[in-house]
Amino acid sequence: MKNSSSYTAVAYLFLAPALILMAIFTFWPVGYNTYLAFQDYAIADGTATWNDFAHFKYIYEEELFHSALKNSLLYLLVVPCIQLAALVIAKLVNNKLPGMTFFRATYYIPVITAISVAGVAWAFVYKYDGMLNGFLTWIGHALGMLQGEFTRVEIDWIGNPDIAIYSVMVFTFWKGLGYYMVLYLAGLQAIPAEVEEAAILDGANAWDRFWKITVPMVKPTILLCTLLSTIAAMKAFQEVIVLTKGQSDTYTALFYVYDQAFRNYNFGRAAAAGLVVTFFCMILAIIQFRFFGDKK
Amino acid sequence: MNFKRSVLAGAVLFAASMVTAQAAEKVKVEYWSNSLSPKFDAVMKDLTAKFNASQTQVEAVWVDVGWDAFQARVVTAVASGKVPGLVNLPKPWMDDFAQKKMIVPITKEAASFKNVYTKGALADVTYNGQQYGLPWYQVTGVLFYNKDLFAKAGIKEAPKSFDQLLAAAKQVKEKTGVTGFAPKLQDGFSGWFLYDGLPLLKDNKAVFNSPAHVKLLEKFAAAYKDGSIPKDVFKMGFEEQIAAYNAGKIAMFAEGAHALKRTQTDSKKIYEATGVAGFPQGAGKTPFGGFLFLWSVPKGFKDVDAAVKLGQFLTNDESQLAFAKASSTFPSTNKALDDAYFQAGAKSADPVQQATAVAATHIKASRTLTISGLPDEAAMNKKLNDEVEAAVTGRKSAKEALDAAVAMWNEKLAAKK
Repeated sequence: MKNSSSYTAVAYLFLAPALILMAIFTFWPVGYNTYLAFQDYAIADGTATWNDFAHFKYIYEEELFHSALKNSLLYLLVVPCIQLAALVIAKLVNNKLPGMTFFRATYYIPVITAISVAGVAWAFVYKYDGMLNGFLTWIGHALGMLQGEFTRVEIDWIGNPDIAIYSVMVFTFWKGLGYYMVLYLAGLQAIPAEVEEAAILDGANAWDRFWKITVPMVKPTILLCTLLSTIAAMKAFQEVIVLTKGQSDTYTALFYVYDQAFRNYNFGRAAAAGLVVTFFCMILAIIQFRFFGDKK
Repeated sequence: MNFKRSVLAGAVLFAASMVTAQAAEKVKVEYWSNSLSPKFDAVMKDLTAKFNASQTQVEAVWVDVGWDAFQARVVTAVASGKVPGLVNLPKPWMDDFAQKKMIVPITKEAASFKNVYTKGALADVTYNGQQYGLPWYQVTGVLFYNKDLFAKAGIKEAPKSFDQLLAAAKQVKEKTGVTGFAPKLQDGFSGWFLYDGLPLLKDNKAVFNSPAHVKLLEKFAAAYKDGSIPKDVFKMGFEEQIAAYNAGKIAMFAEGAHALKRTQTDSKKIYEATGVAGFPQGAGKTPFGGFLFLWSVPKGFKDVDAAVKLGQFLTNDESQLAFAKASSTFPSTNKALDDAYFQAGAKSADPVQQATAVAATHIKASRTLTISGLPDEAAMNKKLNDEVEAAVTGRKSAKEALDAAVAMWNEKLAAKK
């Protein structure tokens, strides 16, 4: 017979491998980063000196960081869109119809595509004389909205600062949709069929069943997915670097962090900016737990 | 007997320790090249072997590091104190590293042999009056143009000045409907000011909103407006320029000869119609598109003399020539550049060979056009480039844009003190 303290010990033993790895690759860097945020760090001689919050004062007044943070917050628009779309698509592919596996796989392909490769492909879509404008030109002519044989739609999707960030968001949406779809699919399959059947017997239509049964029952998954996609949106960086390199008002907060660290070699300031981003992520997470979490 | 044995054992031990001591005396100099493997493995291994054969005291160990990982690896190495003897940097990185004191000056060590390098290259490796690197291979921009499109537009000869170049681009656009010229704007605009001999800083103040600066920017804006440069010019890097040229979508672009090799394989017809000329020199007395790679000694390496010795070998006439031949780039020593190899193609009908000859004549004057030593380089360059883009694409006047960027630069420069 095991007593409870040896039970706890065994539990920690099993947790140990993962905990050790996390300690080395997550907790330690986070801790060190926090430490650096308050220091002037000179790489050449590896010295760090306390600087009275100089980095925070600097980025507080730094216009570029403000606009970067604004862009990162604007990026959150992608969260509700991607969540709703992922849930709806998960619901659709959760049918037992022939060929469903094909659709599930298709929606998932962008997730496993390397972002650099996808970026090159989407740059062609968004180009001035690219696919999207070509398609719109064709539609325009077909509907007779464009006058003259050679008139073309010429929208600079990722070059015009007014719309570039939204174009990048569409890319993020396309790239992440399948990931959340799979999570929702798992959530949906955990809903017992009887509940839905009972609702049908009671005369609920598809709309009611979706909002009154599906959504409440996948609420834990919604919390998880919303949290993940919010953090991903706040951390938007890769999609920006592959599509616009931060030009055309698409400069995000993490892009600022990267620039400060690897172009200015100012790791302290980069750490401070990173900490601010983390702070925003945490606030958003708390709000989301309030909204979707179980109230006990 | 016992005594004899112990003497013998002692002697053996002593001899052994002498051997190890001698072996240990050979200084190992690890040197990191920048993205040269696997394409140039043969020449790099050959150079390493030659150097090691000529040395009794120093042993070179070649390591190649990819472009993307390079800066981060150097930073980590310096921070951890385990540094290689030499690192292969492009000129702008050298400035950054020198500013952050991550590489050491080698003015004294290189004084005896620095005159073998070209004037342009020597100026490039100098930062704040100190020499921080040994010049290695370099490239320079050569102007490639589509002769068919030139003929259709009625242009008789390659442009001799930058204004002529823009005029030709406009003429091509008007007569043929094809975009005339794709200038490289993706990497920022400061290089174009320097190309035109216009300084960005004076007495620690930004001065790039003078009438001359405004005028240059207005030329680009006008060219953008009338379609003689591409609408997505700010998105065009090396790959995009070549692709557009190969597809016949632009009539002119400037790059190194290695770029044209792509046209040769991907677009035969365009290749045959390609003319080559030197990129017109601006008031800065240098062509556009020069780029120098060099060797620097990272901070913390114990035997700087050994590292410089290896660097001197890698950058001597013979080694540079060997590398240049293998890579279609150019050496940075005067003597190697005068080698018959580079002029062999001057009269050839083949555009790549022609381009090599044209570039070799221009490269002695070639400088890497970059601005360095800014207090917040990332933010300042971004501001300048964003404002320039707004001006070129017609969302702002050139004067307004440059005024805004200058104001921001001066704020940062003043805060530095």
